[in-house]
Amino acid sequence: MADSCFQCGAELGAPPALCASCGAVQPFRADLSLFAVAGLPETYDLDVQALRARVLALQKGLHPDRFAQAEPTVRRHSLEWSTRLNEALAILRDPLRRADYLLQRQGVDALGERVKVADPTLLMTQMIYRERLEDLVAARDMTGMEALRQEADTAGAHLVQRLRGLLATLPCTEPEAAGSAVRELQFLDKLLGEIDRSAESLQNA
Amino acid sequence: MALMQIAEPGMAAEPHQRRLAIGIDLGTTHSLVASVLSAVPTVMRDHEGQYLLPSVVRYLGGGSVHVGYPAAAAAGQDPHNTIASVKRLMGRGHGDVQTLAGHLPYDLVPGEGMVRLRTVAGEKSPVEVSAEILRVLKERAVETLGGEPEGAVITVPAYFDEAQRQATKDAARLAGLNVLRLLAEPTAAAVAYGLDKGSEGIFAIYDLGGGTFDISILHLQAGVFEVLATAGDSALGGDDMDHALAEWLMREAGGNASDPLWRRRVLQQARTAKEALSAVDETLIVLAPSGRAAHEIILSRGQLESLMQPVIQRTLPACRRALRDAGLKLDEIDGVVLVGGATRVPAVRAMVEEFFRQTPLTDIDPDQVVALGAAIQADALVGNQREDLLLMDVLPLSLGLETMGGLVEKIIPRNTPIPVARAQEFTTFKDGQTAMSIHVLQGERDLVQDCRSLARFSLRGIPPMVAGAARILVTFQVDADGLLAVRAEEVSTGVRSEVVVKPSYGLDDEAIARMLQDSFAHGAEDVVRRRLSEAKVEGERVREALRTALAADADLLEPAEREALDKAGAALAAALSGTDADAITHAAEAVEAAAEPLVQRRMDSALRRAIAGRSIDDLGD
Repeated sequence: MADSCFQCGAELGAPPALCASCGAVQPFRADLSLFAVAGLPETYDLDVQALRARVLALQKGLHPDRFAQAEPTVRRHSLEWSTRLNEALAILRDPLRRADYLLQRQGVDALGERVKVADPTLLMTQMIYRERLEDLVAARDMTGMEALRQEADTAGAHLVQRLRGLLATLPCTEPEAAGSAVRELQFLDKLLGEIDRSAESLQNA
Repeated sequence: MALMQIAEPGMAAEPHQRRLAIGIDLGTTHSLVASVLSAVPTVMRDHEGQYLLPSVVRYLGGGSVHVGYPAAAAAGQDPHNTIASVKRLMGRGHGDVQTLAGHLPYDLVPGEGMVRLRTVAGEKSPVEVSAEILRVLKERAVETLGGEPEGAVITVPAYFDEAQRQATKDAARLAGLNVLRLLAEPTAAAVAYGLDKGSEGIFAIYDLGGGTFDISILHLQAGVFEVLATAGDSALGGDDMDHALAEWLMREAGGNASDPLWRRRVLQQARTAKEALSAVDETLIVLAPSGRAAHEIILSRGQLESLMQPVIQRTLPACRRALRDAGLKLDEIDGVVLVGGATRVPAVRAMVEEFFRQTPLTDIDPDQVVALGAAIQADALVGNQREDLLLMDVLPLSLGLETMGGLVEKIIPRNTPIPVARAQEFTTFKDGQTAMSIHVLQGERDLVQDCRSLARFSLRGIPPMVAGAARILVTFQVDADGLLAVRAEEVSTGVRSEVVVKPSYGLDDEAIARMLQDSFAHGAEDVVRRRLSEAKVEGERVREALRTALAADADLLEPAEREALDKAGAALAAALSGTDADAITHAAEAVEAAAEPLVQRRMDSALRRAIAGRSIDDLGD
């Protein structure tokens, strides 16, 4: 069932944010998912370029700069839509946060504090990676750091590939496996951040 | 996509139908005005053919005011009445500019609100001084265009906060200008190039001015300019290069280095030589220290470059930081735009080319590019072209909250696109705690004392609960103008409190840059302090829990257990008075281990108390 404009009653598109017929900004809908806010179907396999283009096109119509002279209610609606669009772009563009969000949608909290990483192999891998990074920093070995970065990058790409399979049909039927892939990916993300920071501080030193 | 198509020859409106609009680059050292004339953005010149107007205002007695070159020339002889670099004072309170005061020869008037300067023409605010500059530029535009402009776009640094933007708008209004919009300087530069290239992609804007350096990474797509990241160093610029050369010249020529007059003369010659060497390979400098023979120095471009190298290299950390914040690799940058007079120096261009691995765009004069971009935007906003641009801005500095132990928990990291809303849950530290004080901070460092305090408020009326049971949700909402609202709510009861933060004299560029630099310089030190702080918080929590448990249920313990626990407790107290994070953590763990029997028995007895008097059936629910 399509939504209709609160002002002129015309049928609204997706997302139901701006009326194509009378141009009215619609009241914000907190119930919409991040996908729905961007007017996209809920899926893991997402074209980030297309998402970005889509969100920016929507921002062009909904951003508060467009309603600088409008009345407060309209400005508030515009602010709420625009804020949520930024959130959608930030979360959905990132393969890790996108997977986590999809799992959360089906009640699985893969990165929540209560989840203890029970996988001893992952813990071991993490320790080995960390020690290698520490050694490389101590030796000021930029080439080694670049190699480690490539390795982590590749491992991350494999995990995203695995998640693509696990999340191909939604809701995910193997939430445990997907959750553990998400945790592993989060670790690699953090590691990459640390490699970058370490490399940067060596370069700046 | 025709991003800013206005140059379609047949399409351009007749001159008399066009609406007049101007773009103004209100700079720290000099200002410019430009307009789109016959479909071509053009800077406007004065009667002498100069397009740069030094941003210097001199107040003389009898109500007359000099702006530009004559004022700049008098700076040395009449410092109190000659105001230069007024941009640094815009939207700043007296307290904010104390750090600048040493460098500024002005007579600042103490008081509330924006800082004021005492001159022969009375007290002047930075807004009034800026308005004098804008008035001259407006006059120039009226003469060139043959009529009053309908509106103006004025550029501001990407880092400018609300108060600084507001002050800029006020100055324009005072000068009789209708401000269509304030535009970020890097965006204006990109707009200027977007016109020529009709391109889409990711651009790095490298802006090295006289005294500031800014790097911005912008994404341009479908008429939306998205600021991906900004970084910079507001105490670094072409002036530093001049000083480096001047220092060297003084060492070569001898003379009294502490004589201010001599220093100024050498500095002037350094500047001239630097400019000359942008075009030729060698230049002759004749220095005549008082009381000594004249000294001739032939300076080659190579020598100049090696003297400047350290200054130029200092721009690279900010470039790396901006790339990292934008989540981009070097090969994802589609173009590099040079802004600011100092980017004329060949060594700067070479370094930019080497770092970004591509030839920077230089076809537009780096002094003019910002004003030209502003003119194009102004032209669009008064309706001379259909295509409108949207600027998606980012938060220049992280926002966070104070947590236990004087630490800052970042809620929204810097360079997050705005508008944005983020929420984070906190909890109580003590049993029965009924109020929580919320301290909002801005900055990149880990400790409260190193960040800028924006606001404090408290959440009261939390019902008494055990430590850690309350769920306090703190929400930050930053709107498109960078205005922050903070709300705190205890989730289970709905008790709430909120505050709107409008820093009237917020951070200045210098403070922002200094805070960013400090966060890098002190990164390792912060980690150590953070670890200690966290260990202390955890240790105090354990001690508090032990005290509560012993007060209630000490009788549950055997004497030997009690003794072991007291010993562990004393060891923890001792560790907490020291500064060894590991020792505190170990002592806290020892207490928890020793308290194991007590915890077990307390749970048992609590369970017994809870089920006392209830039937088995009741427990089935």
